[in-house]
Amino acid sequence: MTDVVRTGFRPSRIAIYGVLLLACLVYLIPLIIMLITSFKTPMDIRTGNLLAMPTDWTVMGWTKAWSEACTGVQCEGVRGFFWNSFKMTVPAVLISTLLGAFNGYVLSKWKFKGSDLMFGMLLFGCFVPFQVVLLPMAATLGKLGLANTTTGLVLVHVIYGVAFTTLFFRNYYVAIPDALIKAARLDGAGFFTIFFRILLPLSTPIFMVSLIWQFTQIWNDFLFGVVFASGDSQPITVALNNLVNTSTGVKEYNVDMAAAMIAALPTLVVYIVAGKYFIRGLTAGSVKG
Amino acid sequence: MAQLELRDIRKTYAGALDETLKGINIDIASGEFLTLVGPSGCGKSTLMNSIAGLETITGGSIVVDGKDISGMEPKDRDIAMVFQSYALYPTMSVRENIAFGLKIRGMPKEEIRQEVERVADLLQISPLLDKKPSRLSGGQQQRVAMGRALARRPKIYLFDEPLSNLDAKLRVEMRTEIKKLHQRLRTTIVYVTHDQIEAMTLADRIAVLKDGELQQLGTPKEVYDTPENLFVASFMGSPCMSFIGVTVEQSEAGLSMTVEGSDGRTLTLPVPEYLESWAGKQVVLGIRPEHVSQPDEHKRNNPMVAEGRFTVEVTEPTGPDVLAIIRLNDIDVQCRLDAEHPVEWGEEAELMFDMRKVVFFDPESEKRIRP
Repeated sequence: MTDVVRTGFRPSRIAIYGVLLLACLVYLIPLIIMLITSFKTPMDIRTGNLLAMPTDWTVMGWTKAWSEACTGVQCEGVRGFFWNSFKMTVPAVLISTLLGAFNGYVLSKWKFKGSDLMFGMLLFGCFVPFQVVLLPMAATLGKLGLANTTTGLVLVHVIYGVAFTTLFFRNYYVAIPDALIKAARLDGAGFFTIFFRILLPLSTPIFMVSLIWQFTQIWNDFLFGVVFASGDSQPITVALNNLVNTSTGVKEYNVDMAAAMIAALPTLVVYIVAGKYFIRGLTAGSVKG
Repeated sequence: MAQLELRDIRKTYAGALDETLKGINIDIASGEFLTLVGPSGCGKSTLMNSIAGLETITGGSIVVDGKDISGMEPKDRDIAMVFQSYALYPTMSVRENIAFGLKIRGMPKEEIRQEVERVADLLQISPLLDKKPSRLSGGQQQRVAMGRALARRPKIYLFDEPLSNLDAKLRVEMRTEIKKLHQRLRTTIVYVTHDQIEAMTLADRIAVLKDGELQQLGTPKEVYDTPENLFVASFMGSPCMSFIGVTVEQSEAGLSMTVEGSDGRTLTLPVPEYLESWAGKQVVLGIRPEHVSQPDEHKRNNPMVAEGRFTVEVTEPTGPDVLAIIRLNDIDVQCRLDAEHPVEWGEEAELMFDMRKVVFFDPESEKRIRP
């Protein structure tokens, strides 16, 4: 043998890969069980092993979860609630992200007396637990006539999200050299022109971070959904809970699992599409210029 | 091209106790190249930002062509600025960078295209027009930054330490280029730098600032030959002027002063007439390296020249000449010697002191004693 360093076969390497693989497996097993169970027939689930592959692959669980399963009194699947969630999440994510970008711009590049104090107080919003605001928020939504509506939910999520998005954008913009803003001002650009023409084009990474963060938070939220929405305007997280808790005879685990997968898919897709920006945006704040 | 007047400019930052600018008065003629020079924290960048309108002044007024612009927004002042960090818009191509200001001012597309090309030709950046700033070298970015300023044909150009991010060789090249550009375009330029060589080489006039106060305003030659005070004298010139404490002596032959070398030998130096009232008192002698050299036959008969032997402590060859350090009155004094007649350290050398251009300072007020 030549004296090439054989890193691939040393015991320590094997141990490292072994541990990593094990960690992966432990992490993935719930997902795997959910996936394979969702494709099983009810008979298969009752008789078979939890980890065994389906004997008959079927999408029955998925179709039933989507359009037939009972969520309380109605039996129309989670379809409607899935779209409810979209109608709530998309505007809430976009509005809170844009507001955050704008706040961040003002708090980093157009500092005014007390702007740092204001930023500090805004940050406080990140630490306020959901439960604390439930009652005052309910009263406010009631006064605004937005109780039990999707618009009301959007409002709640925007208010709650702005603290986080402002933090993201402010810290990102702080790293962008002030000279850029000065140069633009001398070039004749005003407050909004600078924001839209200079800063926003630089913001893709932090935009992605904010989008993913907000999408995950808002889509996965259960508490606000269950409190501030009712019946037709409920988001999918609430519907999933209702579906699982509505028992008519035998528990249909395949339908439950499929519904849970449907509820989880959008956040997964967002992660896969924008994930690389998420890592990049969190690690790199500065711009080479 | 415009004339710029700074009248008693004052600036105190919010919450600060001291004034950053303590009443600056400078008149800049149309087409003049003025450099603002001074150590870090002297207020030169604050003054520049105030002219641009990026900072609000707390007193005084800025007047361009007779019109007070102190309260105007930066965009209405018609002033362009080149930044130390270049501040090119990273997401835009070179072309878009140069065109940005023109577009915002609503110039027609065809005119913008012509203007961008004119500037690109002027600065030789035509091949770079479609590249992004991050793909350019430091020197190229510097050119683009200048192009962006030139494109608008503003009344006044401000340069904020534009060369300090470049390496030494490129800095000298760009320095020459800026000078050429100014000679061609004859625009009014205010140029901030902390590099006194840059200040000397580029300027029509130099304004030396310290602690928010104007120390001296004059041509490079005036500032170099007749510095107003000890600070200006020590700041301008490289290697630096040496300062020796001496006593003016009155004798029958006239005024003189005595300096003592490191070996205890003394030399009597002639002193100009105008120091008569200082006879018997201490003054500070400011002497530049070129005032001490090897003996020169042509100067020998001049009454303001003296010769003596001194031990050379250190020699620093620079190429065209050798800098030697001798000790006079326990102070290191730099001398500029001929590289063709080398002296080794530790050796004795015959040196000639040319007292015609030396300056004297009042040790109390640190001001130059005027003839």
